[in-house]
Amino acid sequence: MTLRTLITSATLGALVLLTGCAGAPKQNPVVDEAQILYDQIKNDPAVARSASTQLRSARKNLEEAQALLEDDADTSSVEHRAYLALRHAEIAREQGLRSELEAEVANAEERRKQLELQRKELELAQKQSELQRSAEEAEALRRRMEAMQAEQTERGMVLTLGDVLFDVGKADLKPAAERTIDRLAEFMRAYPERRVLIEGYTDSTGDEGFNLRLSENRAGSVRDALAANGVSPGRIDTRGFGEAYPKASNDNASGRQQNRRVEIVISDEQGNIQTR
Amino acid sequence: MNAYRTLRPAAFALGCTVVLAGCAGPGPRPDSELLSAASAIEQAEASQARQYEPVLLNQAQNKIADARELLDREEHDRARRLLHQAEVDAQLAGARSETAKARQAVDEINRNIESLRTQMNEAAQ
Repeated sequence: MTLRTLITSATLGALVLLTGCAGAPKQNPVVDEAQILYDQIKNDPAVARSASTQLRSARKNLEEAQALLEDDADTSSVEHRAYLALRHAEIAREQGLRSELEAEVANAEERRKQLELQRKELELAQKQSELQRSAEEAEALRRRMEAMQAEQTERGMVLTLGDVLFDVGKADLKPAAERTIDRLAEFMRAYPERRVLIEGYTDSTGDEGFNLRLSENRAGSVRDALAANGVSPGRIDTRGFGEAYPKASNDNASGRQQNRRVEIVISDEQGNIQTR
Repeated sequence: MNAYRTLRPAAFALGCTVVLAGCAGPGPRPDSELLSAASAIEQAEASQARQYEPVLLNQAQNKIADARELLDREEHDRARRLLHQAEVDAQLAGARSETAKARQAVDEINRNIESLRTQMNEAAQ
């Protein structure tokens, strides 16, 4: 090997590298990639609206990369510019996407608000119809109670059967009681959650023990009449109080008449009755 | 002759070095580029790129680290290129994170709407 071949080798090395720098073919994959993406997004309205700066940077760098490529500049310079162009184009695309997504969120938010409003209206309407229904139910109950001539007392609704429904000293219910019993039975069928407590009372005339038994038996008569009208005996309690708890004075006839009675206490909706 | 033969690769390398030196001139120190790149990283992190685009964010940070080493060797032009790239890498990482978050927001509100519809349908029955 001579000095000449040595010089030739050195020159060859330089040339190889220069070729690498200059990039003989006027095409470059990175420039192409940047160009393709730029072409994809340049007419995208969302990108134009929200990423004009990035789009401009992408174009500027792309043009520089292409100029460098035309001028046979070294590949690394060309590819550096193309890389920047590609990144700016990618950023522009992301910004466009983001603005579209944000618009979608704003639309959906509007839709959600409307739905929320509709839901509230629906709930309100349902609450109103519920209120109306319970008002109607309360009214129906009031009418039935009224029909039975029940009284609102501190122990709840109380229906009083006067002494005219029983013969003196007897526990049997007279036929005149039928109407009252029918209405009570009908009420018990309409409100199956309610129970009754039937309480017998007498005046103070006669033997106390006899009066106690009589009051128990009269209460039992009413229970039997209700049961005969289809009310389950399990919903009925009876008690005899005899001479206790007079309603009026036993010193005169009209007071004693008021004291001879059967009271039917109607439970609340949970079946609770306040006993004496 | 033998001496020349052994010298041949060295000569080839010499040629390369001459050309490389021509490619990467010293130029001014890219201090403002360093600042821009670092601030782009900060902004990307503010967009939660650490969570959504960790690979690209690391890439940007590695380029800055490499650029600092080049600056120590006074290879200013190569450092400048890396810093420019780091800046756009970080910007892209931030932009992709923002897109991902917007996509999640869309999904979430659509789920909200769906559950509202279900509730209303159940209530109407």
